[in-house]
Amino acid sequence: MTSESIPAGGDPRRLLADARNLARRVRLAQRVTWLPLLVLALVTFGAILVYRFSQPVLSDCQPIADGQVCKAWYRAAQFYWWAALVLAYVVIAGGYLRVARARGLGTRVLPYVLTGVALVVLSAAVSGVWSILDHPYYPDEPPAFVQFLFRLLDPTGAIGLALLVLAWLERRVALLLFALGYLAVVLVPINFGWGVGWGPQWAFAPQLVINGGLLLLGSAGFALAQRLRRPR
Amino acid sequence: MTGPADTPAPDEAESPHPVTGLDDVVHQRVRLGILTIAHEARRVEFGYLRTQLELTAGNLSQHLGVLETAGLVEVEKGYAGRRGRTWITLTAAGSAALAEEIGRLKLLIARVETTDTPQDR
Repeated sequence: MTSESIPAGGDPRRLLADARNLARRVRLAQRVTWLPLLVLALVTFGAILVYRFSQPVLSDCQPIADGQVCKAWYRAAQFYWWAALVLAYVVIAGGYLRVARARGLGTRVLPYVLTGVALVVLSAAVSGVWSILDHPYYPDEPPAFVQFLFRLLDPTGAIGLALLVLAWLERRVALLLFALGYLAVVLVPINFGWGVGWGPQWAFAPQLVINGGLLLLGSAGFALAQRLRRPR
Repeated sequence: MTGPADTPAPDEAESPHPVTGLDDVVHQRVRLGILTIAHEARRVEFGYLRTQLELTAGNLSQHLGVLETAGLVEVEKGYAGRRGRTWITLTAAGSAALAEEIGRLKLLIARVETTDTPQDR
C-alpha cells in the first residue's frame, strides 16, 4: 500500500486555508501603518509651534475669584489643524498608493483617507456652530459630556477615530488596540500640572507632546514589527 | 438493507449536496487563488500573482484567460515608465462567484464534519 498525498485541488479545507493564507499575505504586503502615524505625529508637533508663535483672539473677559476668564479663539491654530490634517491625509494616500503599486497591488486606504477628511470637516463645523452660538455656558465650563464630545471631535480626537477605520481596513488588532489607547489618552487628558501658568501660548504643549510622542512611538513600533516580519 | 442510522435527515435529503453547486471555473486551486488575491488587493499586477502562486507566465496566462472569458476578471495592460505591466481587477461577477465558492467550501466542510464518524478518523 502506498501513502500518496491527495491533490490539494480537491480538498475543501486545504482550498479554504490556501485562500485565507493568500489574503493574509496580500494584507501584509499592503500595510504601511508606520506612515500615517509618523505623518500625524509631525502634524501634532507642528501644532505646538503654531500655538507658540500665534496670538489667540481674546474677548469678553470677565473677572473671577483668582483672576479673569476670557473667550479665546486660537484662529491660526484652528486653520493650521484643518489644513495640515487634510494635507497629511493626501500624503498618506499617496504613500500607500506608491508602496502598493511598487509591490504590484492596489490599496484599500481610500475609506480611511475619506473618513479622516470627513472628520476634519465635522470638527470645523462643530467649531463654527460653537462660535455662532457664542460659546454657550460661558463663563462657566460646559458639562462633562459636552467637553467629552468636544475632545472626541477635536482634531486630535478625530485622528484617533480615523485610526479605528484604518485598523478595520487592515484587519490589524495591534492597530485597533493602539488607536483605542491613543483615544483614551486624548479623551482622558493626562494632567501632571504642566502648562498651568505657562500662558495661552504654551498651555496646550504638554498634551500635544504626549499625543505626538505616542504617535511617534507607535510609528517606530509598527515600522520595526514590519521589518521583522518581512520575508527574507 | 439499511438501518435508521443510514437514513439521511429530512433537510439533508431535501437540500442538494454543496458539491453540486460548485462552479468548475472557480473551484480550482490556482483560479481560486487569483480571485482571492484580486479581491483582497482591489487590483493586482501579473508579476505578483506569478510569484505568489508559483506559476510560469504561460500557465498563469491560461488561467487568467479562463477567468476573463467567464467575465470574472478584467485584464488591463499598461506601462510603468518603459516597463509593460498587466493589472488584473475582479469584476462584480467575480466577486459574487468568489463569495459563492467560499460559502460552498465552508458548507462542504461543515457537511463533512457532521457526517464524519469516529470510525472514519
